[in-house]
Amino acid sequence: MNIKFPKSLRIIAISLVAIGILALALSGVFTTFSRWVVSPMTSIQTWVSLQYQGVENFVSASQDIREIRQQNTELEAENARMQAQIVELQQQLIEFKILSALLEFARANPEHQYIGASVIGRDPSPFLNYIIINRGSDDGLRRGMPVVTQNGLAGRIVQVTATGARVSLVTDPVTKINVRVEPSRSAAVLSGSITGDITLEQIPQDADVNPGNLILTSGLGGNYPANIIVGQVTSVRSRENDLFQSASVQPVTDFSDLSIVLVITNFEPVDFIPLIPDSGTP
Amino acid sequence: MSVILSIPVLGFISILQSAVVSRLPLNHGTADLVMVVLVAIALQKTSTVSWQWSIVGGLFTDFISGLPFGIFTVSYLIITGIAHIIRKRIWRFSFLMQLLVVLSGTVLTHGMAYMVLFLQGSNISFITALQVVTLPSIILNFMLSLPIFILTQDILEQVHPQE
Repeated sequence: MNIKFPKSLRIIAISLVAIGILALALSGVFTTFSRWVVSPMTSIQTWVSLQYQGVENFVSASQDIREIRQQNTELEAENARMQAQIVELQQQLIEFKILSALLEFARANPEHQYIGASVIGRDPSPFLNYIIINRGSDDGLRRGMPVVTQNGLAGRIVQVTATGARVSLVTDPVTKINVRVEPSRSAAVLSGSITGDITLEQIPQDADVNPGNLILTSGLGGNYPANIIVGQVTSVRSRENDLFQSASVQPVTDFSDLSIVLVITNFEPVDFIPLIPDSGTP
Repeated sequence: MSVILSIPVLGFISILQSAVVSRLPLNHGTADLVMVVLVAIALQKTSTVSWQWSIVGGLFTDFISGLPFGIFTVSYLIITGIAHIIRKRIWRFSFLMQLLVVLSGTVLTHGMAYMVLFLQGSNISFITALQVVTLPSIILNFMLSLPIFILTQDILEQVHPQE
């Protein structure tokens, strides 16, 4: 038997059932039921959501890692550039300090004319204390010109090419320089050695020489201009039976770390050889 | 190896010697890079132009050095001669022979420099020269010998591959 209800009645009945279910739900009757249904759904949804987030993180993280690596590479390159720049600036600062000191030396000794030169090498033989500078005859340098640093005498030019020159340092074993000791003004001869030490020889026995005295070029012999500081006496050796005293000297210039020097260009070394009488002539 | 190749190679090594190696002393001794390279070349069995290389290396060093011209050229030629004698006498070359020739070469070049300075009137103590210059130089040359020997051997094997 098929009972047919009018359409309006069916709508009212469905509405009443819906209102009834809502009322029951609001009153808490369905709480237990909903817990049974919703809890597994929540768990499943949580698991699905976590898996999705994991996949999403994996995808986005790999992209982030690529970006971080790229940034890291860029930063490393930037860091390397900055480090190189720091080294270059430090080098420039050292050169600036040396040049400032050299300029100060040139101002303090205005009687001379100077040309600055860089030290580009040393003699291959360890027996010779020579340096090679990057200025030569094209720059007006000549053999015999004295070479100084901001502290004092360094040596003199012994060989010149067009673009370079070889400088014999005061520590060279063959070097002999006429000097005087201040304040006693005693004359002496300064000699180098292979160990880089310099000694004062031929100091008269009656000369008053003490540790701490300054050694300056005397100008005798014509190889060096007078009054350029060379070093300071550190110890004196004097024996009664010897003709002369001798002394150890601490040079004012650090020859192991020479990088820039000044060449005195207006000094003409005096050549005494034509004045020395030939031993064969009457 | 070509003789022409010796000019840029030994020219560069001579510059390196003057600009860098001579600025790195041990006590007062310095290494002789040119000599160590020439010894390494002369001791290789595949080397055919070691005499020419010695002349070129000696001339470059003579140009740079303040010692009388020819000292280094003569020294290097004698050292090459010593290396050739050792190479012919000993069937199987060992690295110890390199050290032996480097030792002889250092003593020879320093002996000649010492003689020149002595004749020029320099009052150098022989014992001091030996202690503060020659012995440290020998040590430095020994230190350079192994890498240069291996490098030279590799380069010569590339240029003259053995059958």
